[in-house]
Amino acid sequence: MIKPDYEFAKRSLVKLLLEVDIVLIYLNTTWLLLLKWNLLIEVFCMPVDFAITKEQEELKAVVREFSEKYIAPRVVEFEEKQMIPPEIIREMARLGLFGVVIPDKYDGLGLDPITAGLVLEEIVRGDPECSLAVTFLVHTSWGYIACKYGSEEFREDVIRKAARGDLWIGIATTEPGAGSDLTGISTIARREGNEYVINGEKAYISGVREAREKGTWFKEGGGHVTLTYTDKSKGHRGMTFFFIPLTHPKITTRLEKEIGRKGWSFGSFTLNDVRIPETYRIGDEGRGFYIAMEGFDHARAYIALTCAVAAKRAIEIAIDYIKQRRAFGQPIAKFQGVQFQLATNWSRLEAAHALAYKALWALKMEQEGKIGRFEVTKIVASAKLFAVETAKMALDDAMRWMGAFGYTEENPVALAWKAVKSYDWAEGSSDIMRLIVARELLGREYIK
Amino acid sequence: MVTVNSKQNPSSERLNIVVLVKPVPDPKEPPKFKPDGTLDRLSMKLVMNPYDKYAVEAALQLREALGGIVIGVSMAPPHAIDALREALAMGVDEFILLSDPRLAGSDTLATSYALSMVVKKLWSKLGKVDLVLCGVESSDSNTAHIGPEVAEWLGLPSVSYVDKILEVSGGYVKVKKLIEGGYMVIRVKMPAVLTIAGTSYTPRIPTLRDVITARRKQITTLNADDVSIDTSKVGLLGSPTRVIKMWAAEIKRRGKIFTDTDIDRLIDNFLAELRKDGVKLK
Ligand SMILES: Cc1cc2nc3c(=O)[nH]c(=O)nc-3n(C[C@H](O)[C@H](O)[C@H](O)COP(=O)(O)OP(=O)(O)OC[C@H]3O[C@@H](n4cnc5c(N)ncnc54)[C@H](O)[C@@H]3O)c2cc1C
Repeated sequence: MIKPDYEFAKRSLVKLLLEVDIVLIYLNTTWLLLLKWNLLIEVFCMPVDFAITKEQEELKAVVREFSEKYIAPRVVEFEEKQMIPPEIIREMARLGLFGVVIPDKYDGLGLDPITAGLVLEEIVRGDPECSLAVTFLVHTSWGYIACKYGSEEFREDVIRKAARGDLWIGIATTEPGAGSDLTGISTIARREGNEYVINGEKAYISGVREAREKGTWFKEGGGHVTLTYTDKSKGHRGMTFFFIPLTHPKITTRLEKEIGRKGWSFGSFTLNDVRIPETYRIGDEGRGFYIAMEGFDHARAYIALTCAVAAKRAIEIAIDYIKQRRAFGQPIAKFQGVQFQLATNWSRLEAAHALAYKALWALKMEQEGKIGRFEVTKIVASAKLFAVETAKMALDDAMRWMGAFGYTEENPVALAWKAVKSYDWAEGSSDIMRLIVARELLGREYIK
Repeated sequence: MVTVNSKQNPSSERLNIVVLVKPVPDPKEPPKFKPDGTLDRLSMKLVMNPYDKYAVEAALQLREALGGIVIGVSMAPPHAIDALREALAMGVDEFILLSDPRLAGSDTLATSYALSMVVKKLWSKLGKVDLVLCGVESSDSNTAHIGPEVAEWLGLPSVSYVDKILEVSGGYVKVKKLIEGGYMVIRVKMPAVLTIAGTSYTPRIPTLRDVITARRKQITTLNADDVSIDTSKVGLLGSPTRVIKMWAAEIKRRGKIFTDTDIDRLIDNFLAELRKDGVKLK
């Protein structure tokens, strides 16, 4: 006897229902009329869901425990010593935090950007000064991109180490002569057989010291996904990305002094006839600019989240303070002028927080092929712009509520303010975010 | 670190360790109470009893040093299952949840009886159980009864408030136990029940991968009949103790410091204050 294939029947029915607007079904003696399937989906399915899965909750709980026990008590030390204690980085590696979005095949966990964001949030809550957020988010975004576009040999060699937390991946596009306008870079990569020879200088780059020094923070040091010209005559279509290990002997580094997020270094590196194998090229020749734009979207979405969460955490700390500190016979928190500022800032931060998750959701949708590149870029640019501006305003107010104490170096609110301020520029300035949103709204012909 | 003396212990003990774990309302959340003053466990997020984490850590360290297997056991309603995954993520090999509506309302005596029946079942399945470990107490009822009571039901020796397991050899376990103002080193024959104090063990934080893997592991759920529990000895009716009312204790003691350079005047002031409070003095 032939058994009815219910699975097949169910799948066929679902497919049919998804494709047409009207369905008539004859059931026993009655005709059933199904109208506008899309409408039904809208009525019966929740289109937006802020709930997280049990697994995500458990992953967050683990990182929260780590953050509360090991990160939060040592944040002031990050600033004082101007470095992240290496044991914190090693513990992050043990927990698997450097392989969150890298596929399982290369020893990562293969999680989506939303889950990576949930985990990042816990790191930021422990460290509103943001050095660890920088460490995590730069590596997570550019590690993902390097894996996506890197060669198989590169993945086996470098990505596997990155996922285990033995090697850190950074980004190097900016140069002394070019920042916002990437076409102004002058680093050149010349092909010689199976190698490329690279010359140039990169400036204001995060993680230069940590990538250079093997064994202190990361067993193998690290390297930067670096933008070069392979054919300058072609403009942005002549740009190519390479992974450059900063441990290379033909590289010299120099450190700058940052205002904030002092735990993670920031500086420049010079490439003087640096030879690297062809397998370290990330993507095809001429695709560097486009791959950079995709990578920026990842980093910017995580930055939006970082700014919203760092500011929220700082506000919580400020709340404790204004409840205790008294002036004119009552706690500062009893002045309605302060209360209204608090409520306004908090509401804006809630919006920035939600928009940051929309940006991460857009990246996830892109990975699933459900939403286009430009749409993602637009949502992400709005998210970064809004989060940075909102967080700066909120932190400025919170610092003021704390009086002179708010202006001291180790005040957590001031630390968060200094960190958030860096995102006026890092991974794309606020003006460039405005430019992107305007371009997507008005059309390319309105933007130079 | 645990040491093993395999010369004295030629059977080369791979230990079968049972850890008792209780899901409790998250101590980080504000507690919710029922009208009778007891905790409203159903409406609160459950987590692994923080004290049990030390027991799990102790068990895992023993397994790492000597080999063997660590099995988690819990008696709880089915919705508590997520709280137990943390033990699996930490590295517990297998987990058994005893869950049965007939067990609801069990006091510590009934609970310890039920748990001892699960241990017996495991004993016959595995051929032996060497150690039963648990936290000193639970963060939601703090009786510290369960460990010693389980030992009684099983007819085993028990040591409570164990600071550290020092050595396992020749079928004995040597432990350092906390006592008021000091320590006591005890050698006890295995199988034994130990309740672990949170002093010398730092519970490991599981890796993200462990969390994901634990989510996919099966937790075996058993009911009262599966472990041959006499149901007249459990549940509200089988429990000799009953909570009648709970309330927050009012602390009436207040400190007062007397200072005076003249000792006699100081004592007079002190006595006068006592008389004022109604204390009758000779
Ligand atoms: C803390 C920190 C860390 C950094 N880490 C890295 C890193 O790891 N890797 C890396 O490659 N780079 C890094 N950068 C550099 C960062 O990417 C650049 O600062 C940024 O791209 C801006 O470039 P610029 O500083 O050269 O400014 P410029 O491009 O010179 O711009 C100066 C000003 O002009 C504005 N402007 C430029 N073009 C326009 C326009 N078309 N319309 C309106 N306004 C415009 C900009 O918004 C800005 O306010 C970091 C920067 C900081 C502050």
